[in-house]
Amino acid sequence: MVTKGKLKMALAAEKGTDFKMLHLKKKEKVARKVKGKKGGGEGEVVNGNGNGNANGKKGEEEWEDVEEEVEGEDGSGSEEEVDGPMKIDFEGIDESDSDSSAGENDQNNESEEEDEEDIPMSDLEDLDDEEKEDIIPHQRLTINNTVALTAALKRIALPLSKLPFSEHQSVTTSEPVSIPDVSDDLNRELAFYAQSLSAVQEARKSLKAEVVPFTRPTDYFAEMVKADEHMAKIKAKLIDEAASKKASAEARKQRDLKKFGKQVQVAKLQERDKERKQTMEKIKVLKRKRQGADTEATNEADMFDVAVDDEIKDSKASRKDRQGPNKRAKKDEKFGFGGKKRFKKSGDAMSSGDLRGFSAKKMKGATGGAKQRPGKARRAGKR
Amino acid sequence: MASVYKSLSKTNGHEKEGPANGVKKNKQRVLILSSRGITYRHRHLLNDIASLLPHSRKDAKLDTKSKLYQLNELAELYNCNNVFFFEARKGKDLYLWMSKAPNGPTVKMHMQNLHTMEELHFTGNCLKGSRPILSFDASFDKEPHLRVIKELFLHIFGVPKGARKAKPFIDHVMGFTLADGKIWIRNYQINETEPSKAIPSDTADAAPKKKSGKDKDKETEVALVEIGPRFVLTPIVIQEGSFGGPIIYENKEFVSPNQVRSEIRLKKAGRYNARAEQGVERLAKKGELGLRTSGGRKMKRDELDTAELFA
Repeated sequence: MVTKGKLKMALAAEKGTDFKMLHLKKKEKVARKVKGKKGGGEGEVVNGNGNGNANGKKGEEEWEDVEEEVEGEDGSGSEEEVDGPMKIDFEGIDESDSDSSAGENDQNNESEEEDEEDIPMSDLEDLDDEEKEDIIPHQRLTINNTVALTAALKRIALPLSKLPFSEHQSVTTSEPVSIPDVSDDLNRELAFYAQSLSAVQEARKSLKAEVVPFTRPTDYFAEMVKADEHMAKIKAKLIDEAASKKASAEARKQRDLKKFGKQVQVAKLQERDKERKQTMEKIKVLKRKRQGADTEATNEADMFDVAVDDEIKDSKASRKDRQGPNKRAKKDEKFGFGGKKRFKKSGDAMSSGDLRGFSAKKMKGATGGAKQRPGKARRAGKR
Repeated sequence: MASVYKSLSKTNGHEKEGPANGVKKNKQRVLILSSRGITYRHRHLLNDIASLLPHSRKDAKLDTKSKLYQLNELAELYNCNNVFFFEARKGKDLYLWMSKAPNGPTVKMHMQNLHTMEELHFTGNCLKGSRPILSFDASFDKEPHLRVIKELFLHIFGVPKGARKAKPFIDHVMGFTLADGKIWIRNYQINETEPSKAIPSDTADAAPKKKSGKDKDKETEVALVEIGPRFVLTPIVIQEGSFGGPIIYENKEFVSPNQVRSEIRLKKAGRYNARAEQGVERLAKKGELGLRTSGGRKMKRDELDTAELFA
C-alpha cells in the first residue's frame, strides 16, 4: 500500500499523516480527479515538497496532489522513484508488436487498477471481521502482460491456417461452451461430450477430404492403451454390477411372491375346509332325508328342500367368503388375548387326559428311522 | 565423428525438407517426468498420459524442486522441445508445468480432481499411440494467456504426424474445455457404428455395385465412449522463459490449497474461541444483573426480601 520513497516517508512521519485515511480519501476523490487532471500542474507538487512545515490539513491536500501527479501521465523526473516500477518501456515494445498500442492502454489501465483496487492482506489484518466480509482480498497483484503474452504466443505458434489439417488435428468450437453450473455433473459432462462429438464430426470431414485413413479396420490389431487384463477387469466389474442388480431384483420378486403365496395358501386351506364342511353337511342332510323318506316318501319336497338348503348355504358362503387376515386371530389363539395369563401353559386334568397326541408306536421309539436290524438267528436263517 | 555426421545430415535433410514443403513441419517431442514425492495416483496418471503420447520421452523423477531450470538441459539431452512436468508438494498437491523447452513460455497449473484410467472403469479403449483429435473450447481464443495455454496443449497433447510410434488411424479425441476459470480435460474413444438398417432397407434392392460405391462415402454413426483419465487444471502463472524469466501472467483468482487448508483449520479453531467468548459474556451479563455471588454488581435489597422481612 504505502509505496512512497524514503524522503516522502520521512516527510509523512514528520507530519503524522495517516496513510489509511489518505487511501480512503483518495478513493472518494477519484471522480474529482478525472476533472482536475488537466488542471493539476507540476508547480504545485514542487511547492508541496518544498513546504516542509505546513500544518496537518494542508499536508493532506498536498499528498492528494502528489497522488494526482502520479496518476497523470506527465510525471516529472523528480517523481521517477514513484512510478518507476510501473512504467514499461513502451518504445521497445512498439517495434516488436503491431497491436501494441492496445496493449499499452491495457497496461496503463491495469497498473492504475492495481493502485486503486488491490489491497494487500497485511492491511486487512487489523480490520474487524465484519469489515473483512465486505472486502474481497486480492492477495496477489494481477499480472497480465498482454504484450509479452502475444509475443510469446507468436514465437511458438504453429501456422495452423497454412498447415494441412492432418498435421495438427485440432478443432476449436465455433461458440464457447457454456456450462451454467459446474457442479451439475450430468450437464457438465454432456457439454464436454457434445463439444468433442462435434469436433470429431468436423475433423472426420476434413480428414476424409485430405484422404487420411480414419477408421481402424476390424482386422487391424495393435497394442491398446488399456491392456487386455485391464479390459477384462472392467468387463468383470460390469458383469458383477449387472449380476448384483439382477440378484437384488430377483430377491425382491421372491419376497413379494412369498408374501403373496402365503395368502394364497391360507385361502386355499380355508376353501378346502369349507368344502369339506359343506359335503359333510350335505351328507348329513341326505341321511336325515333318507330316514324321513322311509315314512313319507315325497320326492318333490325332498328336492325342493335341498334346493332351499343350497340357496341358504350359498348366501351364507358368499357372506363368509371374504377372508380377512386371520393372522391376528391365530396369534390370539396361540398366545392368548385378554384374560388371565397365569397357569395357561400348565397342564390340568383335561390336558393330561387328552390322548390325541399320544401314539403307542412313538412311545416305543420306532420313529420311522432306519429299519431295525433283525436278530442274529433270523439273519442267519435268511441265508 | 558419427554424431557430427548425423547432426550434419539431419540438418541437411531438414533444410531440404523445409523449402520443399514450404511450411514448417509440426515437430514435437515431449519430455515427461515428475518431481519426487508424488503419490501412486499421480504416478499412474503420468503413465496414462505417457501412454497416450507416443512422441514423449519419460524420464526418472527429478531430484530437485527448486532448480527447475535443470529441466532445460534435460530436455536438450533428450532432443525434446516440450517439457511436461509434475511437481508434487506435501504428498498431496500436484502442480503441472508445461514448457517449450529452450526459451519458453512456461505455464504452471494446479491439478485437481484427477482420476487415472484404471480407477475410472470406463469401457472406452484406443490404440496405443494413435493420434488424437484435439477439441478446444472457443473461449480459449478470448484471452492472450489462454491462447498461450492452448498452444502448449496443442504441442504437447497433439501427436505430430510422423511420430515414431504413432498408429495410422484416428480413434480418440481429447477435449479441453474452459469452465469456471478451470480447464477440464477429457479423453474419449471414437466409436463408429454402421447406421441403423432402417434407411438402407428401401435401397436394398439396388445393385450391389452401387452399394460398394456408396460404402465409401456413407457416413457411419459416431458415438463417443470415455476412456479416461480425467483432470482439471487451474492456471496459476505463465513465465516468459522456460522455467525462468519474468512472469507475464498471474492468476489472481487462484487460491493455493495451503491457504484453503489453513482457513479450514482456522475456522475450526474459531469455533472454540467463539464458545469461550460466549462463556465470558454470559458471566459478565450475570454479573451485570447481580446474579453472581462474587463480583459484578450487588443487587439492591428489596423491601419484601425474606431476609429483610424476618430480620
